[in-house]
Amino acid sequence: MIEAGPQERARLMRTPQSVDIDITDRCNLRCKYCYFYTSPADVKTDLPLEEWLRFFEELNRCAVTEVTLAGGEPFIREDLKEILEGVIRNRMRFSILSNGTLITEDMARFLGSTPRCNYVQVSLDGSEPETHDSCRGKGTFEKAVAGLRLLQKHKVNVAVRVTIHRYNVRDLEATARFLLEDLGLSGFGTNSAGHMGLCQKNMEQVELTTAERELAMKTLLALNKKYGGRISASAGPLAEGRMWSRMERARRQGAAAFPEGGRLTGCGCPFSKISVRTDGVIVPCNMLSHIELGRINRDRLDDVWRNHSELWKMRDRRSIPLSRFEFCRGCPYLDYCTGNCPALAYSLLGVVDHPSPDGCLRKFLDEGGHLPEEELLEP
Amino acid sequence: MSADKPVANPQVVLREEFDDWAVLFDPDTAEGFAVNPVGVLIWKELDGNHDIADIVRVVREKCENVPEDVETHCREFVDSLIRKGLVGTEVTHD
Repeated sequence: MIEAGPQERARLMRTPQSVDIDITDRCNLRCKYCYFYTSPADVKTDLPLEEWLRFFEELNRCAVTEVTLAGGEPFIREDLKEILEGVIRNRMRFSILSNGTLITEDMARFLGSTPRCNYVQVSLDGSEPETHDSCRGKGTFEKAVAGLRLLQKHKVNVAVRVTIHRYNVRDLEATARFLLEDLGLSGFGTNSAGHMGLCQKNMEQVELTTAERELAMKTLLALNKKYGGRISASAGPLAEGRMWSRMERARRQGAAAFPEGGRLTGCGCPFSKISVRTDGVIVPCNMLSHIELGRINRDRLDDVWRNHSELWKMRDRRSIPLSRFEFCRGCPYLDYCTGNCPALAYSLLGVVDHPSPDGCLRKFLDEGGHLPEEELLEP
Repeated sequence: MSADKPVANPQVVLREEFDDWAVLFDPDTAEGFAVNPVGVLIWKELDGNHDIADIVRVVREKCENVPEDVETHCREFVDSLIRKGLVGTEVTHD
């Protein structure tokens, strides 16, 4: 591998700009596609409040500006308010990723009272209980919507995430109408169930077939057009529909390689953020929780960030050419491909330094998939 | 407009980067402001104990090719920080 030279190393941020923290291993639900449970992130240990508060002081000294609290279900922690007060005291902003079912009026009021909350992300997978509850459990739709409405009532910025799977792929129009029209959200994000954690066990039930993936792609692009760009995605069918269409257009026109194309550049996270497991172990990403870099309140975060060889391996990944992989041999999209998510590559193949087969356009087409029509794409 | 002895808002985060430039980040508004290395030097003097003349002295001492009208530049920079709410003055009660 070509390793980053001294110049590249010198150009790294001195400290991470943000930190993703799995604040608890506990959750009141067991969603069928949860990436967390049974993954290396699921270490069955929660740290006490004092340990987190001490760590936040270090984040303050490191000039970290924001944390994202996830898990598990953050709202299950009885001391969440004290945790957030610690974040605020240490000059940071925060976001929370939640299933929405445990949000109380008191907590929503608290969140609405601070200017530091970027957003609370609530997972909502459909327009009605049948689709949402199919993977998340009976009664969870009503509770999640109630939690969401409490956040709206107290003017907390709500970000809804729709995970697309077999049970809701035909409910996307109604879902968009429910979220954007009935609930009045300014937008929502989408992804799809990835091959991690509990999802690996339940693939047959949740993973989209090629035809369903194609359907999701086309439906979401059409809906996004209808709703003026209010649907977003950094992964999943909508993101793939956009990216793959760009790649196909470039191939057809014989365009020059994309600036990030032809190498494993699909993940920029190790250049700006780092993660912490529920047991305080520092990892590059909560979806690559098997790569242990140190422990909070024992190892210095700035030292781990700047010097840990495993983290540099993650960063140096960007120099690995796709042409090296048998999997990519002869691919007409090589110059336009980034190899996608390393965590998905790891969960599918057990190797981080490999393109993710899940995000492969050639594979999608070989399996009978078709790209969306040009008129569905944004200019 | 410049306060006699300006003081940095303690809630504002100074994120120094690899090239000695920095970002001043206001966590209450989520706004960030890019600051050049001289600005970083000045920011670190905004502790409520130094007036503009002190700051100018430090800039002259530590920087090269300092222009004649450096005081005006320093004053304008501090004023811009005050307008953005990143800097204030300490209030003392007699």
